[in-house]
Amino acid sequence: MIARRAAAALLALAMTAGIAWLSRVPTNFGADADAVIRLSWRVEGVPVEACRTRTEEELAVLPVHMRSPQECASAIAPFALDVVVDGKAAVRDTVFPKGVRGDRPVYVLRNFPAGAGRTALSVRFEAVLAEGAEPGDGVATIYAWDGEVDLAAGDVALLTVDGAKNLVLRTPEAP
Amino acid sequence: MINRWKAQGGGLGVRALARLDAAFNGLYTWRFNPLYHSGALVVACFAVLLATGLYLLLFYRIGAPYESVAAIDAQWWGGRWIRGLHRYVSDLAVVAAILHGFRMFAQRRTWGPRALAWVSGLVLLGIFFVCGWTGYVMAWDVHGQALAVEGARLLDALPVFSEPLGRAFTGEESLPGAFFFMNLFAHIALPVGIALFLWVHVSRLARAQLLPPKRLLWGTVGLFAIAAVAWPPPLGPEADLLKLPATMPADWVYGFWLPVARAMAAGWVWVVGGSIALLALLVPVWTKPRAEKRPPPSWVNPRYCTGCEQCFLDCPYEAISMVDRDDGREGLVGWVDPAKCVSCGVCAGSCAPMGVGPPGRTGRDQLARVKDFLAEARPGSGDVVVVGCMHGAAGSVGSTAVATGLAAVDGLAGAPASAEAQEPRVFPVGCAGNLHTSVIEYLVRAGAGGVMVAACPPRDCRSREGVKWFNERVHHGREAELQDRVERRRIAVVYAAAGEGRVLRDGVERFRSRILAMEEAPAERDFDVGVECELDEAVP
Repeated sequence: MIARRAAAALLALAMTAGIAWLSRVPTNFGADADAVIRLSWRVEGVPVEACRTRTEEELAVLPVHMRSPQECASAIAPFALDVVVDGKAAVRDTVFPKGVRGDRPVYVLRNFPAGAGRTALSVRFEAVLAEGAEPGDGVATIYAWDGEVDLAAGDVALLTVDGAKNLVLRTPEAP
Repeated sequence: MINRWKAQGGGLGVRALARLDAAFNGLYTWRFNPLYHSGALVVACFAVLLATGLYLLLFYRIGAPYESVAAIDAQWWGGRWIRGLHRYVSDLAVVAAILHGFRMFAQRRTWGPRALAWVSGLVLLGIFFVCGWTGYVMAWDVHGQALAVEGARLLDALPVFSEPLGRAFTGEESLPGAFFFMNLFAHIALPVGIALFLWVHVSRLARAQLLPPKRLLWGTVGLFAIAAVAWPPPLGPEADLLKLPATMPADWVYGFWLPVARAMAAGWVWVVGGSIALLALLVPVWTKPRAEKRPPPSWVNPRYCTGCEQCFLDCPYEAISMVDRDDGREGLVGWVDPAKCVSCGVCAGSCAPMGVGPPGRTGRDQLARVKDFLAEARPGSGDVVVVGCMHGAAGSVGSTAVATGLAAVDGLAGAPASAEAQEPRVFPVGCAGNLHTSVIEYLVRAGAGGVMVAACPPRDCRSREGVKWFNERVHHGREAELQDRVERRRIAVVYAAAGEGRVLRDGVERFRSRILAMEEAPAERDFDVGVECELDEAVP
C-alpha cells in the first residue's frame, strides 16, 4: 500500500514537472542565421495612364454622349526590386501593388540572413513604367541604397523608407 | 483496405488506452484515475484560468506590457506563482484535451450523434491554442515576439489584409498600444467562445459531469500551484524587433509548431496545417462504420410501453422523449430520436415491461439469450456466472463469450474466448446499464451460486451512466429494480476495465470462495430475517 502510494505520488510529481518543463524548454528560434538584413517599406504607387485613340468604327457603336476620342486606362506601376549582398544577387523580383485591383500601396518585407561583421549591400527599387508612360508630379520612382552594414551576432539591420522618401538604414545601435 | 486499417488502428488505440488505464487504476484507483477525467480536467483548468486570469488582469497595462508582467513577476508573495499557475494550467488544459480526444477516438465515440461533440471539441482546442498565443504576446517577451512575428507571417499569406500584418513587427516603429489592446481584447473574448462551445460540446449529454472528483481537482490544482511556487516559469528577455531572439524559454505545448513553420513557406504551412485540421474534423465521417455494422438505435414497442418515463429519465444522451399515444390508449409513450441515440442500451435496463431498447438487446432479447446460455450448461450452486460488459475486462476473459446480439456493438462481435477450464462463464452484455435485472434473477433461480456483474469503472462507462443506473437498480430500488426475492448475497459487482483481466479474475475467485462458504453453511443459508425477528419478539 505504501509503495503504491509512493509510486502514485512520484508519478503525479513527474507528470506535473513534465508539463511545467514543456512550458519552458530552452529553444533558439533564431539559430538559422547570425544576423538578418530586413527590407521593409511601404511606398505610394506610381499611377500611370495609357491612352489610345479610338477608331471611327469603335466611336460609331458608342452612345453619342460617350464618344470620347481617347480611351485611357490607369493603373499603379509595379516596382522592380534588386538586392545585391556582398556582390551576389540576392533578389531580383517584381513587386506589385496590393489589392484585388492592384490600386493599393506597394509593400516590401524581406529578410536576408547575413553573417556577423561587415556586409556590402546594394538595393534598388524602381517603378517599372511602360514606354511613354508619365508618372505624376512629385511621385518617386526610384529608391536606392548602397553601402556597408556592420552587424553583430543577433542584430537585425532594417532598411526602410523615411519621410523624405529615401531609403535609410536602422540598426540596433542606430535605431 | 480502409476498413481493415480502421479496425487495426482502432484496436491498437484501444489496447494502448487499456494498458494505460489499467496502470493508472493500479496507482490511483478508478475513482481518481486522471485519464478517466481528462475532459473534466480541461473544464477545471478553464475555471482556474479564469480565476488566475482575473487577478493578473488587475496589474496588466497595455501601455507597458512587458514592464507590467515583470512587476507581476516581482510579487513573490502572489503575482509570480499566480502567473505560473495560469501558465502551467493552460498547458495542462491542452494536454488533457488531447488525451480526452484520443480516448474518444480510440473508443470510437466520434461519429453519429457524437459528431457534434467531436467537432465542437476540436474547435474548443483551437480556441485554447489561440487564447494561449495571445496570452504569450501579452507578456511581450522574446517568446511572445516569436509567436507574433511567425503568426503575422502566416496570416499575411492569406489574401485578407490590405496591409501586411508582418510590417507591424519589423522594428520601423514601436508597437502601438492599440495592438496590445486588441490582443488583450482577444485574450478576454476568447474564453467567452470557450464557454459557448463547451455548452455546445455537452449539449447532447444528460447530467454532464463537468468537474472531476474533489480530491483529484484540488490535488491537481495543488500540485501545479506547488510547481508554480517552487519552479516559477521564467519571463524571457523583453522583445526587441531589431534583435534576433536568442535561446529562450519556450512553451512547446503552445509553440510546438514554431520550428516547423519557420522552416516552411507560409503557404505550405497553411496547406499542411489545414489538411491536418480537415482530417481531424472529418473523423466523424471516416470512422463511421458501414451501415450494416452500425449498432441500430433503440426503439420503443408501444404495445409494452406503460408511459412510466423511466427510460426518458435514464437516457444518458437525452435521446428519448415522451409523446402522446396514437394507438387509442390514454397517456404518453416513449419515443427515441434515432439522430441522438448512440445505441448504448441503457433504456433496455430501465424498462420493467421490457418494451424499449436496441433491437437484439432489449430485456426480452436478453432473457431469450440467457435461456440459451443456460441450456448449454446449467450452473451449479457453487458456480459463479459473470455477466460482463464487453467493453471491460469481461470482453477478453471467459469461456463462453458468445456475443449473440452484440454483433453491432462497436465491433465487439465475437468476444475473445479462452478454453481454460478455470475461466468463469461469461454472459456478455453491451453495458452493465443495458443489463436487465430479470437476467440476474433468472440466473440465480436457475441455480447459479452467484452472479458477478463485471462492469467498467463508472467514469469509463461507454454509456456514461450505465454503471450508475445498474447499481441503483440492484441496490436502491430504481426502476427496473432487482426484485427483493433475489438474495443480494449472491450478487456482486466488480469494476474491471479492459486491461484489468486480473482484477476480474481475483474478484471472481473471492466471490466464488464466499459462495462456497455460504453453501457449506446451510443453517446460514436458511436464515430468514422475518421469521427470526418474529421469534425474537415472541420471546418474553
